[in-house]
Amino acid sequence: MSWDSEAKEIAERRRFAEALGGPERIERQHATGRQTIRERLHQMVDPGSFQEVGRLTGSGQYTDGELTSVTPAPYVMGLAKIDGRDVAIGGEDFTVRGGSSWGSDRRKGGQGGFVEDLAFNYRIPLVNLIDGSGGSVSSTSRRGYASLPGIHGFERSCELLGHVPVVSAVLGSAAGGPAGRAILSHMSVMVKGSSHIFAAGPPVVKRSLGQDLTKEELGGSKIAADQAGTIDNVAESEADAFAQVRRFLSYMPQNVWQMPPVIASSDPADRVEEDLLSIVPRDRRKPYNMRKLTSLIADRGSLFEIQPSFGRAVITSLGRMNGKPVGIIANNPMIYGGAMDAAAARKQLHFVDLCDCFHIPIIFLVDVPGFMVGLQAEQNATLREGMRCLHAAMQATVPILTVIIRKCYGMAGMATNDKNGLDLKIAWPSAEWGSLPIEGGVAAAYRRDIESAPDPKAREKELEAQLRSQASPFRTAEAFAIEDIIDPRETRAYLCRFIDAAQGRIATSLGPKPKYGVRP
Amino acid sequence: MAKVEVKAEVTGCVWKVEVAPGQSVGAGDTLVIIESMKMEIPVFTEVAGKVGSILVAEADYVNEGQALVVIET
Repeated sequence: MSWDSEAKEIAERRRFAEALGGPERIERQHATGRQTIRERLHQMVDPGSFQEVGRLTGSGQYTDGELTSVTPAPYVMGLAKIDGRDVAIGGEDFTVRGGSSWGSDRRKGGQGGFVEDLAFNYRIPLVNLIDGSGGSVSSTSRRGYASLPGIHGFERSCELLGHVPVVSAVLGSAAGGPAGRAILSHMSVMVKGSSHIFAAGPPVVKRSLGQDLTKEELGGSKIAADQAGTIDNVAESEADAFAQVRRFLSYMPQNVWQMPPVIASSDPADRVEEDLLSIVPRDRRKPYNMRKLTSLIADRGSLFEIQPSFGRAVITSLGRMNGKPVGIIANNPMIYGGAMDAAAARKQLHFVDLCDCFHIPIIFLVDVPGFMVGLQAEQNATLREGMRCLHAAMQATVPILTVIIRKCYGMAGMATNDKNGLDLKIAWPSAEWGSLPIEGGVAAAYRRDIESAPDPKAREKELEAQLRSQASPFRTAEAFAIEDIIDPRETRAYLCRFIDAAQGRIATSLGPKPKYGVRP
Repeated sequence: MAKVEVKAEVTGCVWKVEVAPGQSVGAGDTLVIIESMKMEIPVFTEVAGKVGSILVAEADYVNEGQALVVIET
């Protein structure tokens, strides 16, 4: 007795799954420049590595007890490999009911779905391919009663953030639950022109507030990524979004119990870059290209910037030093002299938390004059956001190395130190520091002295010159108040030496990092 | 011929205008320097072309995102 007819039925049912929402819906999806969920999965994961789970899920249609067709559940997921490493991956199928939630016995995807359980139990990264708007009022009519929010809650989604890397690619219009899950991730990316994300879309906004906006105006990448920082990165195409997901995961361990992945580096750890000696102008009013500076220090071609278009006063990049993953936080003197504004503080806080969680050591390349000042900055709660950022740095226990390139002032400067560790701070000869910059600081501290002088302007300049000579970094080095001043060309070798040595320490402190206290 | 507005990345005071109308510029050239947070922040053009109109003068206060120079490509 063979099970041949059942095997045929399995094959037939799988064909229904492969057909998604039908040719017409698939064509409509393609017409908007978007791929179907199966095309996306194919493009995202290693060839042939996708092991689908739940391919038979859907609504069967029967005639006289005989199966005629199955409308597949609007979520496709399973186990796959990215760069040879296992991941849990899934996404809404927009061609079936617009990818809205599915009233199955056990959820396949979404918050609390099987795909999250897979990532959680097997301690592997989760990749969300998001293209849906979550719950629909039609489920109320199907159920016959309205359920409370949280019946399928975010508890698992939140717990995952402390255990395994979670990456979300927003590939269509995301609202409601799927939008929420896009945020509950370590890195998110959206596609320019074809993805949108909002708490609620244009029809709800029109009805609630009378604002008549297109999806692009309300939640396109200009708003969601560049202005709001709701989503981290912007991609030019779906293929680019997948490349960014792959790139991000390449720096991440599979989970917080494992070491970040080390690769063999072909870039010599003691490579000397002559340009570093002259990259910082002697005229301290003149900025320079911090991205170039960072790229000269890190392993060649290893940098991947997170949130490049948001909070641009700080540049946060994943990278490698001698093959070991690092997080590099560098101030950008081209944007308000590198002063930390509310957006930059939020960005830096997230990045510190990310690196700390996955045991990726942090390198600060410091050129920060302090918090951003002015009415706009106060209205944006810069002080609070800045102190939250400092609080995150004070809680971080991953090794941190500090290189002071130029300015290191105030509380924003303080947030760049390794207060729970070795606290090794090295400086370039161009470095200067203090509780606040000399200009302005002199006028405030010596006001009476300056006002009573016969030539107040000259007296102010004289005091500034006197203080500046005492502010020489060499005097601080004599007192071992800075651990070292180095020739800028030695930076890479120095940092590689310490990042190499830190690996042993990292290996003995793996695991989750529950944090306590109240972030201000 | 397309007109490209080059905008200020920071709020501040126009310190120097480095170009004149009619002048040819290459991608990456400095058009204007804005003094902001005690720093001289250069504003570059990302496109090559000819300088059309200059919308600001030295000592003007400008806002983040404000158009400064029009480049004709």
